Amino acid sequence: MNVRSGAPGGSTRIEMRGVSKAFGSHGNASPVAALANLDLRVPEGSFVSVVGPSGCGKTTILRLVDGLLAADAGEVRVSGAPPRPGPQVGFVFQGFRLIPWATVEANVDFALTSLRLDKAERAERVSRYLATVGLSRFAKAYPGTLSGGMKQRVALARALATDPEILLMDEPFASLDAQTRELMQTELMKLWEQRRQTVLFVTHSVDEAILLSDRIVLMSPRPGRVIEEIEVGLPHPRWQYDVRATPRFTELRTRLWSAIRELVLNDPSSDFHNPSGRPTA
Amino acid sequence: MIAIYRTLFLFALIGLWWIVSLNVGANLIPTPVATLQAAGQLIADGRLAVALGDSLITFVGGYGLAALVAVPLGLVMGMFLPVGKTLEVYVYALAATPRVAFIPLIIVFLGLGFEAKIFIVFLGAVMPIIVNTYAGVLAVDQELIEMARSVRASQFQIFRRILLPGSVPFIIAGLRIGATIGLINTIVAELYTAVRGLGGLLAIYGNTFRMAEYFVIVIVLAIIGVIVSECLRQVEGRLARWKAID
Ligand SMILES: Nc1ncnc2c1ncn2[C@@H]1O[C@H](COP(=O)(O)OP(=O)(O)OP(=O)(O)O)[C@@H](O)[C@H]1O
Ligand SMILES: [Mg+2]
Repeated sequence: MNVRSGAPGGSTRIEMRGVSKAFGSHGNASPVAALANLDLRVPEGSFVSVVGPSGCGKTTILRLVDGLLAADAGEVRVSGAPPRPGPQVGFVFQGFRLIPWATVEANVDFALTSLRLDKAERAERVSRYLATVGLSRFAKAYPGTLSGGMKQRVALARALATDPEILLMDEPFASLDAQTRELMQTELMKLWEQRRQTVLFVTHSVDEAILLSDRIVLMSPRPGRVIEEIEVGLPHPRWQYDVRATPRFTELRTRLWSAIRELVLNDPSSDFHNPSGRPTA
Repeated sequence: MIAIYRTLFLFALIGLWWIVSLNVGANLIPTPVATLQAAGQLIADGRLAVALGDSLITFVGGYGLAALVAVPLGLVMGMFLPVGKTLEVYVYALAATPRVAFIPLIIVFLGLGFEAKIFIVFLGAVMPIIVNTYAGVLAVDQELIEMARSVRASQFQIFRRILLPGSVPFIIAGLRIGATIGLINTIVAELYTAVRGLGGLLAIYGNTFRMAEYFVIVIVLAIIGVIVSECLRQVEGRLARWKAID
């Protein structure tokens, strides 16, 4: 076991500096500020989680990093260059985004379209990554016939299939039941331990963030900004011991929850707005 | 099971027809037996086959041409929004104009022959196919397109794998409406231009009160409608196999 924080070499893979993004500025409605003056740094080979309430701009961050969206102000750099969508970045979308009329294998194969691989190589990759997520038997099935957990694994296989240096994952396990979720978390830890991609991971779950990441970024909404960054500092690999039983886990959990509680109670647009902190009714 | 119900309903309809024909009088509504005899006569002397052939050429020519023009045009309008936004006003305007209004003009330019007939069918069928194909492309899930951009799929790949299959249900719906209008316009064309085909027979028998023969033609038209619609259903079933969840 090695205690790591940050990454070997420590070079920066993803960097956002003073990034702002508003939506709807083209229409007549007043624009929604999704992100305001956001700074974020993800070191090479590290696992960073973004936690924050709904609508605080988590998905927007991932879309900016993938180059699917352009920032209004500030700078986004991926591997030292402006971001550009492509096979070097794997994106697991919130809500899977599988092609409903394509089979499971065709869905995974679709990620390979921009790589100049020959047919045999492509087929080999597809079957290798379907095996990785345990779905070889369902290669010919259509997404509509799969359970939520299986769809999730197809989406993961598709993101892994190009063997990307960077993985962007948007609440990938949110719709899974507790058991499947735990299995998938372990699976992801093992995959990451082997390959050490740079991972930017979005989740609503504080426990999941602590379990998986090197660093946790806590965000606040309206407009989206970073309010706290926490180094996890638990040794890897974490499937080899009971992370939840460590004092560090409890400490982090308490700290994150109190930060989130404060955030929600002080947010005037939240349903739970209550700055005095006294119980209402 | 549905097939049995359908057959039973058909018998019920024929029964009703029979009762009505006996009460109204054979001059207005022929009995099923008289109609069957007339059908035998029309088939035996070959008049039905000739008329059916004429009408099918008009219909298939006009409708086929409409599909060939409308599907690509609708796709282009949906994929290149400046094109779509420019043309949609004209498409909607033309779709709302009764096409019968153009018939005198068409006769002036194209005469009374097959060209004019095919063009009348074309004009009727083309609009719903364009409108539906266009709507289909616009309705394709934007999140899927973003996913495709994320893996750096080419424009062609996005078209081939996402846009085209995504708009198939709309295209088929357009083709169905187009087929119905095309069939109606086939008959309209045969009534307004050189009187031929099934529409021609309809005019002749209608004007001379030969109701048994008239009914035969009406039934043949209904059968054509069913066949065309059933063919399109088959095509749709084939293209939408992924929807079949057993
Ligand atoms: N395409 C868009 N058009 C208009 N507004 C948008 C668009 N995308 C996001 N927004 C707005 O930007 C803000 C941030 O959205 P984003 O999807 O990044 O939030 P999120 O943190 O991912 O939320 P969730 O946890 O619910 O997924 C929200 O207020 C949202 O309404
Ligand atoms: Mg989101």
